[in-house]
Amino acid sequence: MNPCLNTAHLIFPSSLNLIANVNLQKHPFHSTLLVFALGFFSTHTPGQVEVSVPTLPRVGVSISGALGGGATEIVSNDLKRTGMISPVSSGSGDFLATGDAEDSSVNGRLVNKKTGAEVFNQTFSGKGRLAAHEFSDAITKAVTGLPGFASSKLAFVSGSGRVKELYLADIDGYNARALTHDGTISASPDLSHDGAKLAYTSYKSGYADVYLIDLASGSRTRIAFFPGINSGPNFSPDGSLLALTLSKDGNPEIYTMSLDGGSLNRITRTRGAETSPSWSPSGDRLVYSSDDRGSPQLFISNSSGTTDGADWDHLVTGNSYCTKPDWSPDGKLIAFTTRLGGQFQIGVYDVAARTGQLITTSGGQDPSWTRDSRHLVYSNNSHLYLLDTASHQSLPIEINAGGCGEPTVSR
Amino acid sequence: MNIKCRLPLLIALTIALAACGDDKDKNYTGMGDNGGALPGGQDTLNTADAGGGIPPAARGNFNPDNADYQTLASDTVYFDFDKSTISGSERSKLDQVSQWFKANPGHSLFLAGHADKRGTPEYNRALGERRALAVREYLVGLGLPAASLYTNSYGADRPAVDGDTEEAYAKNRRVEIGVVVQQP
Repeated sequence: MNPCLNTAHLIFPSSLNLIANVNLQKHPFHSTLLVFALGFFSTHTPGQVEVSVPTLPRVGVSISGALGGGATEIVSNDLKRTGMISPVSSGSGDFLATGDAEDSSVNGRLVNKKTGAEVFNQTFSGKGRLAAHEFSDAITKAVTGLPGFASSKLAFVSGSGRVKELYLADIDGYNARALTHDGTISASPDLSHDGAKLAYTSYKSGYADVYLIDLASGSRTRIAFFPGINSGPNFSPDGSLLALTLSKDGNPEIYTMSLDGGSLNRITRTRGAETSPSWSPSGDRLVYSSDDRGSPQLFISNSSGTTDGADWDHLVTGNSYCTKPDWSPDGKLIAFTTRLGGQFQIGVYDVAARTGQLITTSGGQDPSWTRDSRHLVYSNNSHLYLLDTASHQSLPIEINAGGCGEPTVSR
Repeated sequence: MNIKCRLPLLIALTIALAACGDDKDKNYTGMGDNGGALPGGQDTLNTADAGGGIPPAARGNFNPDNADYQTLASDTVYFDFDKSTISGSERSKLDQVSQWFKANPGHSLFLAGHADKRGTPEYNRALGERRALAVREYLVGLGLPAASLYTNSYGADRPAVDGDTEEAYAKNRRVEIGVVVQQP
């Protein structure tokens, strides 16, 4: 980063940032303002990307047993996907992961080869591929200190034309299955943090309503069907509430409600459209998109609804079109979709530093954090990708379903 | 991008403001047209009693998918990118809709808001809703009963035409006016 540009940004109070950005829109070729804007919202040039491959801890993987070959491949791919570990053949490496994979469990052991110490030795009993993914997550946690996300689930919509169905898959794209067969529009899925429930928008009734699915039993309940749109549900961290958009009072606004449809609480009160609420990990705040200023931008309000819409904080990301925020599990970052030069890209806002950064250059939208607060799953042109926000590298997620969008990852 | 966007917007706003002088528009509250302000032109949110446009009508006893969109197909209202402002040229269509409604008692109207495919689905759904509600408020301003005007938004999921051209996008940013045989 250019230190001059950083300095220029830091001395600007946020209200002045807004004015600078507005002026930029009216006079796009004003060189001084353009420089400021680049400072606010810089892209990484190739020279700034740290190529950290040589310093990655190397983990040798060798799993035996009836399913040993498959498990070795699953774990190796999982570790590689973290971008923080380099899987190697079993003879080399800083760590050695060994195990025994049978039909419904993996006994996994990790040894630190430098010290010779056993890091862990435990049984993972997830069904099918899940046990191997759980082994991967334990290795990732032990080696990097960050929670692994290989055992996470991915919900998304898939379809073409006027029909989109709801899908659930493993985060590596395996085991994709349709949850709905409604022949209508399904949209905006969100998984509860414990992974047990899924809330989403469906036009099954002819209107946009919010439904709740209990994934264990498969039961589905329509929980929000006020006049107007009912859409974009997002689970509170404790799973007791949903934030969502309702237009029942004449305009799309953010509300919170309990899972049975009660305890409705209005959060925003503007003349614009508020959409895509996302809870802070502590549950006391909501980030959302509002176009009350003419184009959609990001705002944070408290989630109690006690301030009657008067409490809000405008996030100056450096771009005038920002939608679909997602608050990271560690609370430090907010990923969002932005429109730049007619293209949609993923940006990340640093909550403490109050700065935004663009992290894709080839397009992307609808980002969802994985549990390590480092990776994002997003969609681009009907395909899903896993993005490492540290290296800015994207990997396609191969899924046996077409026209994929609106991914959301279990925490 | 910005220069291209601003010029039509300024023209639209100029026409819109001029149209406000017409007697027939005096009841139009401007819900959904940002009060005529340019994007970013204000730095405070309208928190006082805002957002209370005319609430959507209670859902009717019909399936929205069965509405007749053919009868008033030529009166489909089109919008600029990322806008829910009804431009002056589109308002004459709503005058025709108003005349049709008054000449055909026993019907209700179903106002279906849509967005083009660009952007995130959730925002597009809200944008389509704002467009439908803006049309509804305009028609109420022309004297139509609010209870006879149903709305829904399909976001970008039901395009009128497929394709990735500006022409296709322009045809998809719309409110279609369906006819429903139902008294409120």
